[in-house]
Amino acid sequence: METLAHIAEGFIGLFKEGGKVFVSLLTGIIPTLITLITAVNALIKFVGQERIERFAQKITGNIVLRYTVLPVMAVFFLTNPMAYTFGRFLPEKYKPAFYDAAVSFVHPILGLFPHANPAELFVYMGIAQGIQKLNLPLGPLAIRYFLVGIIVIFLRGIVTEKITQAMLARRGSEL
Amino acid sequence: MAYRTVKVEKGEGGWGGPLYITPTEKRNKIACITGGGIHPVAQRIAELTGAEAVDAFKTSVPAEEMACVVIDCGGTARVGVYPKMGVLTVDVTPTFPSGPLMAFINEKNFVSGVKPKNVILVEGSEEVAHEKIETAPSREAQVIAPSVPQEVPRRSFIERIGRGMGGIVAIFYQAGRETVDQVIRNIIPFMAFVSTIIGIILYSGIGNVIAKIIAPLAGTLPGLLLISLVCALPVLSPLLGPGAVIAQVVGVLVGVEIGRGNVPPQFALPALFAINPQVGCDFIPVGLTLGEAKPETIEIGVPAVLFSRQITGPIAVIIAYLFSFGLY
Repeated sequence: METLAHIAEGFIGLFKEGGKVFVSLLTGIIPTLITLITAVNALIKFVGQERIERFAQKITGNIVLRYTVLPVMAVFFLTNPMAYTFGRFLPEKYKPAFYDAAVSFVHPILGLFPHANPAELFVYMGIAQGIQKLNLPLGPLAIRYFLVGIIVIFLRGIVTEKITQAMLARRGSEL
Repeated sequence: MAYRTVKVEKGEGGWGGPLYITPTEKRNKIACITGGGIHPVAQRIAELTGAEAVDAFKTSVPAEEMACVVIDCGGTARVGVYPKMGVLTVDVTPTFPSGPLMAFINEKNFVSGVKPKNVILVEGSEEVAHEKIETAPSREAQVIAPSVPQEVPRRSFIERIGRGMGGIVAIFYQAGRETVDQVIRNIIPFMAFVSTIIGIILYSGIGNVIAKIIAPLAGTLPGLLLISLVCALPVLSPLLGPGAVIAQVVGVLVGVEIGRGNVPPQFALPALFAINPQVGCDFIPVGLTLGEAKPETIEIGVPAVLFSRQITGPIAVIIAYLFSFGLY
Protein backbone atom coordinates (compact mmCIF):
# COMPACT_ATOMS: atom_id res chain seq x y z
CA MET A 1 0.00 0.00 0.00
CA GLU A 2 2.77 2.37 0.92
CA THR A 3 4.64 1.65 -2.29
CA LEU A 4 1.49 2.43 -4.26
CA ALA A 5 1.14 5.73 -2.44
CA HIS A 6 4.75 6.54 -3.28
CA ILE A 7 4.17 5.81 -6.95
CA ALA A 8 1.05 7.96 -6.97
CA GLU A 9 2.91 10.79 -5.29
CA GLY A 10 5.73 10.60 -7.80
CA PHE A 11 3.26 10.50 -10.64
CA ILE A 12 1.40 13.60 -9.44
CA GLY A 13 4.75 15.25 -8.68
CA LEU A 14 5.69 15.19 -12.35
CA PHE A 15 2.66 17.30 -13.20
CA LYS A 16 2.84 19.51 -10.13
CA GLU A 17 6.28 20.50 -11.34
CA GLY A 18 4.88 21.06 -14.84
CA GLY A 19 2.06 23.14 -13.36
CA LYS A 20 4.58 25.35 -11.57
CA VAL A 21 6.41 25.93 -14.84
CA PHE A 22 3.09 26.67 -16.58
CA VAL A 23 2.03 29.25 -14.00
CA SER A 24 5.42 30.94 -14.11
CA LEU A 25 5.15 31.19 -17.89
CA LEU A 26 1.56 32.45 -17.68
CA THR A 27 2.28 35.16 -15.14
CA GLY A 28 5.80 35.95 -16.29
CA ILE A 29 5.41 36.12 -20.05
CA ILE A 30 1.77 36.32 -21.11
CA PRO A 31 0.83 39.76 -19.65
CA THR A 32 3.74 41.57 -21.32
CA LEU A 33 3.18 39.56 -24.47
CA ILE A 34 -0.50 40.54 -24.70
CA THR A 35 0.05 44.28 -24.26
CA LEU A 36 3.09 44.31 -26.54
CA ILE A 37 1.37 42.38 -29.32
CA THR A 38 -1.76 44.55 -29.02
CA ALA A 39 0.29 47.73 -29.39
CA VAL A 40 2.18 46.41 -32.40
CA ASN A 41 -0.98 45.06 -34.05
CA ALA A 42 -2.61 48.48 -33.64
CA LEU A 43 0.48 50.22 -35.03
CA ILE A 44 0.38 48.00 -38.11
CA LYS A 45 -3.27 48.89 -38.66
CA PHE A 46 -2.56 52.61 -38.27
CA VAL A 47 0.28 52.55 -40.79
CA GLY A 48 -1.81 50.57 -43.26
CA GLN A 49 -0.68 47.94 -45.72
CA GLU A 50 -0.73 50.22 -48.76
CA ARG A 51 1.84 52.60 -47.34
CA ILE A 52 4.12 49.71 -46.41
CA GLU A 53 3.87 48.19 -49.87
CA ARG A 54 4.65 51.50 -51.54
CA PHE A 55 7.81 51.81 -49.47
CA ALA A 56 8.80 48.18 -50.03
CA GLN A 57 8.68 48.57 -53.79
CA LYS A 58 11.17 51.42 -53.64
CA ILE A 59 13.94 49.47 -51.96
CA THR A 60 14.00 46.29 -54.05
CA GLY A 61 16.80 47.48 -56.35
CA ASN A 62 19.51 47.85 -53.72
CA ILE A 63 21.26 44.57 -52.91
CA VAL A 64 21.85 45.48 -49.25
CA LEU A 65 18.33 46.74 -48.53
CA ARG A 66 16.84 43.82 -50.48
CA TYR A 67 18.11 41.28 -47.98
CA THR A 68 17.98 43.38 -44.80
CA VAL A 69 15.33 46.11 -44.61
CA LEU A 70 12.89 44.46 -47.03
CA PRO A 71 12.64 41.09 -45.25
CA VAL A 72 12.67 42.71 -41.79
CA MET A 73 9.81 44.99 -42.83
CA ALA A 74 7.96 42.11 -44.42
CA VAL A 75 8.19 39.97 -41.29
CA PHE A 76 7.40 42.84 -38.92
CA PHE A 77 4.37 44.20 -40.77
CA LEU A 78 2.94 41.16 -42.54
CA THR A 79 4.16 38.47 -40.10
CA ASN A 80 4.67 34.77 -40.86
CA PRO A 81 3.56 33.51 -43.44
CA MET A 82 2.21 36.54 -45.33
CA ALA A 83 5.67 38.16 -45.26
CA TYR A 84 6.70 36.07 -48.27
CA THR A 85 4.16 37.85 -50.48
CA PHE A 86 6.64 40.74 -50.73
CA GLY A 87 8.53 38.47 -53.11
CA ARG A 88 6.16 39.64 -55.82
CA PHE A 89 7.92 43.01 -55.94
CA LEU A 90 11.14 41.31 -57.06
CA PRO A 91 12.36 39.91 -60.39
CA GLU A 92 12.15 36.10 -60.57
CA LYS A 93 15.89 35.55 -60.12
CA TYR A 94 15.85 37.22 -56.68
CA LYS A 95 12.76 35.51 -55.32
CA PRO A 96 14.43 32.40 -53.78
CA ALA A 97 17.04 34.59 -52.07
CA PHE A 98 14.37 36.92 -50.69
CA TYR A 99 12.33 34.00 -49.38
CA ASP A 100 15.45 32.60 -47.73
CA ALA A 101 16.21 35.92 -46.04
CA ALA A 102 12.62 36.54 -44.94
CA VAL A 103 11.96 33.06 -43.55
CA SER A 104 15.27 33.12 -41.68
CA PHE A 105 14.08 36.20 -39.81
CA VAL A 106 10.82 34.83 -38.42
CA HIS A 107 12.65 33.67 -35.25
CA PRO A 108 15.36 36.31 -34.60
CA ILE A 109 12.53 38.88 -34.47
CA LEU A 110 10.73 37.04 -31.66
CA GLY A 111 12.80 38.37 -28.76
CA LEU A 112 11.70 41.94 -29.47
CA PHE A 113 8.50 41.52 -31.50
CA PRO A 114 6.71 38.27 -30.70
CA HIS A 115 3.62 39.30 -32.73
CA ALA A 116 5.45 38.33 -35.91
CA ASN A 117 5.32 34.60 -35.28
CA PRO A 118 3.54 33.73 -32.03
CA ALA A 119 2.97 30.09 -32.97
CA GLU A 120 6.72 29.45 -32.98
CA LEU A 121 7.59 31.56 -29.97
CA PHE A 122 9.40 28.77 -28.17
CA VAL A 123 12.29 28.57 -30.62
CA TYR A 124 13.41 31.69 -28.76
CA MET A 125 11.45 31.36 -25.52
CA GLY A 126 12.62 27.79 -24.87
CA ILE A 127 16.21 28.93 -24.59
CA ALA A 128 15.26 32.29 -23.05
CA GLN A 129 13.45 30.68 -20.13
CA GLY A 130 16.74 29.02 -19.15
CA ILE A 131 18.34 32.46 -19.01
CA GLN A 132 15.39 33.70 -16.94
CA LYS A 133 15.82 30.82 -14.55
CA LEU A 134 19.34 32.07 -13.83
CA ASN A 135 17.87 35.54 -13.09
CA LEU A 136 19.81 37.06 -15.96
CA PRO A 137 18.23 39.86 -18.05
CA LEU A 138 16.67 38.83 -21.39
CA GLY A 139 17.19 42.18 -23.12
CA PRO A 140 20.81 41.60 -24.20
CA LEU A 141 19.97 38.21 -25.69
CA ALA A 142 16.90 39.56 -27.53
CA ILE A 143 18.73 42.51 -29.08
CA ARG A 144 21.75 40.42 -30.11
CA TYR A 145 19.51 37.73 -31.59
CA PHE A 146 17.82 40.47 -33.65
CA LEU A 147 21.08 42.05 -34.86
CA VAL A 148 22.88 38.80 -35.63
CA GLY A 149 19.67 37.75 -37.39
CA ILE A 150 19.97 40.71 -39.75
CA ILE A 151 23.60 39.86 -40.52
CA VAL A 152 22.69 36.22 -41.14
CA ILE A 153 19.74 36.96 -43.45
CA PHE A 154 21.87 39.37 -45.46
CA LEU A 155 24.51 36.70 -45.88
CA ARG A 156 21.87 34.09 -46.74
CA GLY A 157 20.32 36.42 -49.31
CA ILE A 158 23.66 36.96 -51.05
CA VAL A 159 24.68 33.28 -51.00
CA THR A 160 21.29 32.05 -52.21
CA GLU A 161 21.20 34.74 -54.91
CA LYS A 162 24.61 33.58 -56.21
CA ILE A 163 23.61 29.91 -56.11
CA THR A 164 20.36 30.67 -57.95
CA GLN A 165 22.27 32.57 -60.61
CA ALA A 166 24.80 29.77 -61.03
CA MET A 167 22.01 27.21 -61.41
CA LEU A 168 20.23 29.40 -63.93
CA ALA A 169 23.42 29.84 -65.92
CA ARG A 170 24.03 26.10 -65.97
CA ARG A 171 20.55 25.60 -67.36
CA GLY A 172 21.10 28.37 -69.84
CA SER A 173 17.82 29.78 -68.64
CA GLU A 174 16.79 33.40 -68.43
CA LEU A 175 14.32 34.31 -65.76
CA MET B 1 -36.38 48.64 -63.38
CA ALA B 2 -33.46 46.32 -64.00
CA TYR B 3 -30.98 46.05 -61.18
CA ARG B 4 -27.35 45.17 -61.65
CA THR B 5 -25.14 42.95 -59.55
CA VAL B 6 -22.13 44.22 -57.68
CA LYS B 7 -19.35 42.25 -56.13
CA VAL B 8 -18.18 43.54 -52.76
CA GLU B 9 -14.74 42.36 -51.71
CA LYS B 10 -13.13 42.65 -48.32
CA GLY B 11 -10.85 45.64 -47.93
CA GLU B 12 -7.48 46.01 -46.28
CA GLY B 13 -7.38 44.00 -43.08
CA GLY B 14 -10.97 42.92 -43.62
CA TRP B 15 -12.68 39.58 -43.49
CA GLY B 16 -15.28 37.56 -45.39
CA GLY B 17 -16.89 37.94 -48.77
CA PRO B 18 -16.88 38.48 -51.61
CA LEU B 19 -20.60 39.19 -51.56
CA TYR B 20 -22.67 39.45 -54.69
CA ILE B 21 -25.45 41.95 -54.18
CA THR B 22 -28.37 42.02 -56.59
CA PRO B 23 -31.37 44.11 -55.54
CA THR B 24 -34.83 42.84 -56.45
CA GLU B 25 -38.20 44.58 -56.74
CA LYS B 26 -38.84 43.90 -53.11
CA ARG B 27 -35.34 44.10 -51.73
CA ASN B 28 -34.44 47.39 -53.32
CA LYS B 29 -32.87 49.44 -50.57
CA ILE B 30 -29.26 49.82 -49.52
CA ALA B 31 -29.66 50.51 -45.82
CA CYS B 32 -26.90 52.60 -44.37
CA ILE B 33 -26.46 52.54 -40.60
CA THR B 34 -23.27 54.43 -40.02
CA GLY B 35 -24.34 57.01 -37.49
CA GLY B 36 -26.13 59.38 -39.84
CA GLY B 37 -25.70 60.18 -43.51
CA ILE B 38 -25.04 57.93 -46.47
CA HIS B 39 -21.61 56.38 -46.33
CA PRO B 40 -19.62 56.52 -49.62
CA VAL B 41 -19.66 52.71 -49.74
CA ALA B 42 -23.47 52.63 -49.55
CA GLN B 43 -23.60 55.42 -52.11
CA ARG B 44 -21.46 53.48 -54.53
CA ILE B 45 -23.36 50.23 -54.10
CA ALA B 46 -26.58 52.13 -54.73
CA GLU B 47 -25.21 53.85 -57.83
CA LEU B 48 -23.83 50.67 -59.37
CA THR B 49 -26.80 48.45 -58.65
CA GLY B 50 -29.49 51.04 -59.32
CA ALA B 51 -31.04 50.56 -55.88
CA GLU B 52 -31.85 53.33 -53.47
CA ALA B 53 -29.53 54.23 -50.61
CA VAL B 54 -31.40 54.95 -47.41
CA ASP B 55 -30.09 56.47 -44.24
CA ALA B 56 -31.48 53.86 -41.89
CA PHE B 57 -30.25 55.83 -38.94
CA LYS B 58 -33.02 58.34 -39.61
CA THR B 59 -35.62 56.29 -41.44
CA SER B 60 -36.24 52.74 -40.43
CA VAL B 61 -36.09 50.15 -43.18
CA PRO B 62 -37.73 46.74 -42.77
CA ALA B 63 -35.15 43.97 -43.03
CA GLU B 64 -37.04 42.30 -45.88
CA GLU B 65 -36.65 45.40 -48.06
CA MET B 66 -32.88 45.56 -47.67
CA ALA B 67 -30.72 44.42 -50.59
CA CYS B 68 -27.85 44.77 -48.18
CA VAL B 69 -26.90 46.81 -45.15
CA VAL B 70 -23.83 48.99 -44.74
CA ILE B 71 -22.59 49.33 -41.15
CA ASP B 72 -19.55 50.70 -39.35
CA CYS B 73 -19.56 48.33 -36.43
CA GLY B 74 -16.34 47.63 -34.56
CA GLY B 75 -17.48 44.22 -33.49
CA THR B 76 -20.14 43.85 -30.85
CA ALA B 77 -23.79 44.21 -31.75
CA ARG B 78 -24.66 45.28 -35.30
CA VAL B 79 -21.99 43.06 -36.71
CA GLY B 80 -24.10 40.02 -35.94
CA VAL B 81 -27.64 41.38 -35.98
CA TYR B 82 -28.06 41.63 -39.75
CA PRO B 83 -26.36 38.36 -40.63
CA LYS B 84 -28.76 36.76 -38.16
CA MET B 85 -31.72 38.38 -39.92
CA GLY B 86 -30.46 37.08 -43.24
CA VAL B 87 -29.38 40.45 -44.62
CA LEU B 88 -26.11 40.71 -46.54
CA THR B 89 -23.85 42.85 -44.38
CA VAL B 90 -21.12 45.20 -45.55
CA ASP B 91 -19.01 46.51 -42.70
CA VAL B 92 -16.77 49.48 -43.50
CA THR B 93 -14.51 48.83 -40.51
CA PRO B 94 -12.12 45.86 -40.73
CA THR B 95 -13.86 43.71 -38.17
CA PHE B 96 -13.58 39.97 -37.73
CA PRO B 97 -16.55 37.88 -36.66
CA SER B 98 -17.11 38.55 -32.98
CA GLY B 99 -19.70 39.49 -30.45
CA PRO B 100 -22.53 37.46 -29.03
CA LEU B 101 -24.01 36.72 -32.46
CA MET B 102 -20.71 35.63 -33.94
CA ALA B 103 -22.09 32.22 -34.87
CA PHE B 104 -24.36 33.75 -37.52
CA ILE B 105 -21.55 35.55 -39.32
CA ASN B 106 -19.99 33.77 -42.26
CA GLU B 107 -18.17 34.53 -45.50
CA LYS B 108 -21.38 34.35 -47.50
CA ASN B 109 -23.29 37.01 -45.56
CA PHE B 110 -20.57 39.30 -44.23
CA VAL B 111 -17.68 41.29 -45.60
CA SER B 112 -15.63 43.89 -43.72
CA GLY B 113 -13.02 46.60 -44.18
CA VAL B 114 -14.87 47.67 -47.33
CA LYS B 115 -13.91 50.87 -49.11
CA PRO B 116 -15.70 52.30 -52.19
CA LYS B 117 -13.03 50.81 -54.48
CA ASN B 118 -13.86 47.30 -53.23
CA VAL B 119 -17.32 47.57 -54.79
CA ILE B 120 -17.13 46.30 -58.36
CA LEU B 121 -19.84 46.00 -60.97
CA VAL B 122 -20.21 42.41 -62.15
CA GLU B 123 -20.40 42.37 -65.91
CA GLY B 124 -20.48 38.64 -66.45
CA SER B 125 -23.57 38.15 -64.30
CA GLU B 126 -26.51 36.48 -65.96
CA GLU B 127 -28.87 39.45 -65.98
CA VAL B 128 -26.24 41.65 -67.50
CA ALA B 129 -25.34 39.04 -70.09
CA HIS B 130 -28.93 39.08 -71.33
CA GLU B 131 -28.92 42.82 -71.69
CA LYS B 132 -25.58 42.83 -73.40
CA ILE B 133 -27.05 41.74 -76.68
CA GLU B 134 -28.93 44.95 -77.22
CA THR B 135 -27.64 47.63 -74.96
CA ALA B 136 -23.94 46.82 -74.58
CA PRO B 137 -23.94 47.49 -70.85
CA SER B 138 -20.19 47.11 -70.68
CA ARG B 139 -19.86 50.65 -71.95
CA GLU B 140 -22.52 51.71 -69.54
CA ALA B 141 -20.57 50.05 -66.77
CA GLN B 142 -17.47 51.95 -67.71
CA VAL B 143 -19.37 55.16 -67.48
CA ILE B 144 -20.74 54.30 -64.08
CA ALA B 145 -17.68 52.74 -62.55
CA PRO B 146 -15.37 55.71 -62.26
CA SER B 147 -18.05 58.06 -61.00
CA VAL B 148 -17.01 59.52 -57.72
CA PRO B 149 -19.37 58.99 -54.80
CA GLN B 150 -21.35 62.09 -54.05
CA GLU B 151 -19.92 64.38 -51.48
CA VAL B 152 -20.60 63.24 -47.98
CA PRO B 153 -22.52 65.90 -46.06
CA ARG B 154 -20.20 68.06 -44.03
CA ARG B 155 -19.83 67.10 -40.43
CA SER B 156 -19.52 69.30 -37.43
CA PHE B 157 -16.19 69.61 -35.68
CA ILE B 158 -17.34 67.68 -32.61
CA GLU B 159 -18.78 64.91 -34.71
CA ARG B 160 -15.49 64.54 -36.56
CA ILE B 161 -13.52 64.33 -33.30
CA GLY B 162 -15.97 61.80 -32.00
CA ARG B 163 -15.63 59.66 -35.11
CA GLY B 164 -11.84 59.98 -35.06
CA MET B 165 -11.64 58.81 -31.46
CA GLY B 166 -14.09 56.04 -32.20
CA GLY B 167 -11.88 54.91 -35.06
CA ILE B 168 -8.75 54.79 -32.90
CA VAL B 169 -10.51 52.91 -30.14
CA ALA B 170 -11.94 50.48 -32.69
CA ILE B 171 -8.45 49.77 -34.05
CA PHE B 172 -7.02 49.09 -30.58
CA TYR B 173 -10.02 46.98 -29.68
CA GLN B 174 -9.62 44.91 -32.84
CA ALA B 175 -5.85 44.63 -32.23
CA GLY B 176 -6.53 43.40 -28.69
CA ARG B 177 -9.05 40.88 -29.91
CA GLU B 178 -6.61 39.47 -32.47
CA THR B 179 -3.88 39.34 -29.84
CA VAL B 180 -5.91 37.44 -27.27
CA ASP B 181 -7.08 35.12 -30.01
CA GLN B 182 -3.48 34.41 -31.02
CA VAL B 183 -2.38 33.91 -27.44
CA ILE B 184 -5.17 31.45 -26.77
CA ARG B 185 -4.91 29.55 -30.02
CA ASN B 186 -1.16 29.54 -30.59
CA ILE B 187 0.85 30.46 -27.52
CA ILE B 188 -0.90 28.94 -24.50
CA PRO B 189 -1.31 25.47 -26.06
CA PHE B 190 2.41 25.33 -26.76
CA MET B 191 3.12 26.60 -23.24
CA ALA B 192 1.06 23.74 -21.86
CA PHE B 193 3.09 21.28 -23.91
CA VAL B 194 6.40 22.88 -22.94
CA SER B 195 5.51 23.05 -19.23
CA THR B 196 4.61 19.36 -19.22
CA ILE B 197 7.93 18.41 -20.80
CA ILE B 198 9.94 20.65 -18.49
CA GLY B 199 8.07 19.34 -15.45
CA ILE B 200 8.83 15.75 -16.36
CA ILE B 201 12.48 16.52 -17.10
CA LEU B 202 13.03 18.40 -13.86
CA TYR B 203 11.17 16.05 -11.54
CA SER B 204 12.01 12.64 -12.92
CA GLY B 205 15.74 12.90 -13.28
CA ILE B 206 15.59 12.24 -17.03
CA GLY B 207 17.26 15.65 -17.14
CA ASN B 208 20.55 14.09 -16.02
CA VAL B 209 20.48 11.73 -18.99
CA ILE B 210 19.57 14.52 -21.42
CA ALA B 211 22.25 16.76 -19.92
CA LYS B 212 24.90 14.17 -20.81
CA ILE B 213 23.87 14.45 -24.47
CA ILE B 214 22.95 18.14 -24.72
CA ALA B 215 25.71 19.72 -22.62
CA PRO B 216 28.68 18.72 -24.78
CA LEU B 217 26.72 19.50 -27.96
CA ALA B 218 25.17 22.83 -26.99
CA GLY B 219 27.91 23.95 -24.61
CA THR B 220 30.85 23.92 -27.01
CA LEU B 221 31.43 25.55 -30.40
CA PRO B 222 32.30 22.29 -32.23
CA GLY B 223 29.16 20.71 -30.78
CA LEU B 224 26.98 23.57 -32.02
CA LEU B 225 28.62 23.43 -35.46
CA LEU B 226 27.89 19.72 -35.61
CA ILE B 227 24.21 20.32 -34.77
CA SER B 228 23.89 23.01 -37.43
CA LEU B 229 25.66 20.89 -40.06
CA VAL B 230 23.34 17.96 -39.44
CA CYS B 231 20.15 20.03 -39.29
CA ALA B 232 21.09 21.78 -42.56
CA LEU B 233 21.61 18.55 -44.54
CA PRO B 234 19.42 18.99 -47.64
CA VAL B 235 17.86 15.54 -47.08
CA LEU B 236 17.02 16.34 -43.47
CA SER B 237 16.22 20.05 -43.38
CA PRO B 238 12.80 19.86 -45.10
CA LEU B 239 11.80 17.11 -42.65
CA LEU B 240 12.88 19.07 -39.57
CA GLY B 241 11.09 22.23 -40.63
CA PRO B 242 7.33 21.84 -40.12
CA GLY B 243 5.91 24.21 -37.52
CA ALA B 244 9.42 24.64 -36.16
CA VAL B 245 8.38 21.96 -33.67
CA ILE B 246 11.79 20.29 -33.59
CA ALA B 247 13.55 23.62 -33.12
CA GLN B 248 11.11 24.53 -30.35
CA VAL B 249 11.52 21.26 -28.47
CA VAL B 250 15.31 21.29 -28.78
CA GLY B 251 15.22 24.94 -27.73
CA VAL B 252 13.33 23.97 -24.59
CA LEU B 253 15.82 21.15 -23.82
CA VAL B 254 18.79 23.48 -24.24
CA GLY B 255 16.98 26.12 -22.17
CA VAL B 256 16.43 23.67 -19.32
CA GLU B 257 20.12 22.75 -19.33
CA ILE B 258 21.10 26.44 -19.32
CA GLY B 259 18.78 26.93 -16.36
CA ARG B 260 20.36 24.00 -14.54
CA GLY B 261 23.82 25.35 -15.18
CA ASN B 262 25.00 22.56 -17.50
CA VAL B 263 25.33 24.88 -20.50
CA PRO B 264 26.93 28.33 -20.07
CA PRO B 265 24.37 31.14 -20.64
CA GLN B 266 26.37 32.97 -23.30
CA PHE B 267 25.93 29.91 -25.51
CA ALA B 268 22.25 30.80 -25.77
CA LEU B 269 22.94 33.04 -28.77
CA PRO B 270 24.90 30.61 -30.98
CA ALA B 271 22.56 27.82 -29.87
CA LEU B 272 19.57 29.75 -31.22
CA PHE B 273 21.16 29.61 -34.67
CA ALA B 274 22.57 26.09 -34.35
CA ILE B 275 19.20 24.47 -33.68
CA ASN B 276 17.51 26.30 -36.52
CA PRO B 277 19.37 26.23 -39.87
CA GLN B 278 16.40 24.32 -41.27
CA VAL B 279 13.93 27.17 -40.74
CA GLY B 280 11.40 27.29 -43.55
CA CYS B 281 13.05 24.50 -45.58
CA ASP B 282 9.74 22.63 -45.62
CA PHE B 283 7.94 25.71 -46.86
CA ILE B 284 10.05 26.85 -49.85
CA PRO B 285 7.53 26.09 -52.65
CA VAL B 286 4.65 27.60 -50.68
CA GLY B 287 6.64 30.69 -49.72
CA LEU B 288 7.74 31.21 -53.33
CA THR B 289 4.17 30.78 -54.53
CA LEU B 290 3.08 33.47 -52.06
CA GLY B 291 5.68 35.67 -53.73
CA GLU B 292 4.05 34.87 -57.09
CA ALA B 293 7.10 33.03 -58.42
CA LYS B 294 6.93 31.13 -61.72
CA PRO B 295 7.11 27.31 -61.64
CA GLU B 296 10.63 27.42 -63.06
CA THR B 297 11.78 29.71 -60.26
CA ILE B 298 10.35 27.31 -57.72
CA GLU B 299 12.08 24.38 -59.39
CA ILE B 300 15.44 26.13 -59.05
CA GLY B 301 14.65 27.92 -55.80
CA VAL B 302 14.11 24.79 -53.72
CA PRO B 303 17.58 23.25 -54.24
CA ALA B 304 19.19 26.70 -54.18
CA VAL B 305 17.86 27.47 -50.71
CA LEU B 306 18.59 23.97 -49.37
CA PHE B 307 22.15 24.08 -50.66
CA SER B 308 22.67 27.62 -49.38
CA ARG B 309 21.68 26.53 -45.88
CA GLN B 310 24.42 23.92 -45.79
CA ILE B 311 26.89 26.78 -46.18
CA THR B 312 25.19 29.56 -44.22
CA GLY B 313 23.94 27.38 -41.33
CA PRO B 314 27.36 26.78 -39.73
CA ILE B 315 28.56 30.30 -40.67
CA ALA B 316 25.58 31.75 -38.78
CA VAL B 317 26.65 29.78 -35.69
CA ILE B 318 30.18 31.19 -35.92
CA ILE B 319 28.90 34.76 -36.32
CA ALA B 320 26.58 34.31 -33.35
CA TYR B 321 29.42 32.79 -31.34
CA LEU B 322 31.58 35.86 -32.01
CA PHE B 323 28.69 38.11 -30.98
CA SER B 324 28.15 36.17 -27.76
CA PHE B 325 31.33 37.46 -26.13
CA GLY B 326 30.43 39.64 -23.19
CA LEU B 327 26.78 38.63 -23.36
CA TYR B 328 26.53 37.23 -19.83
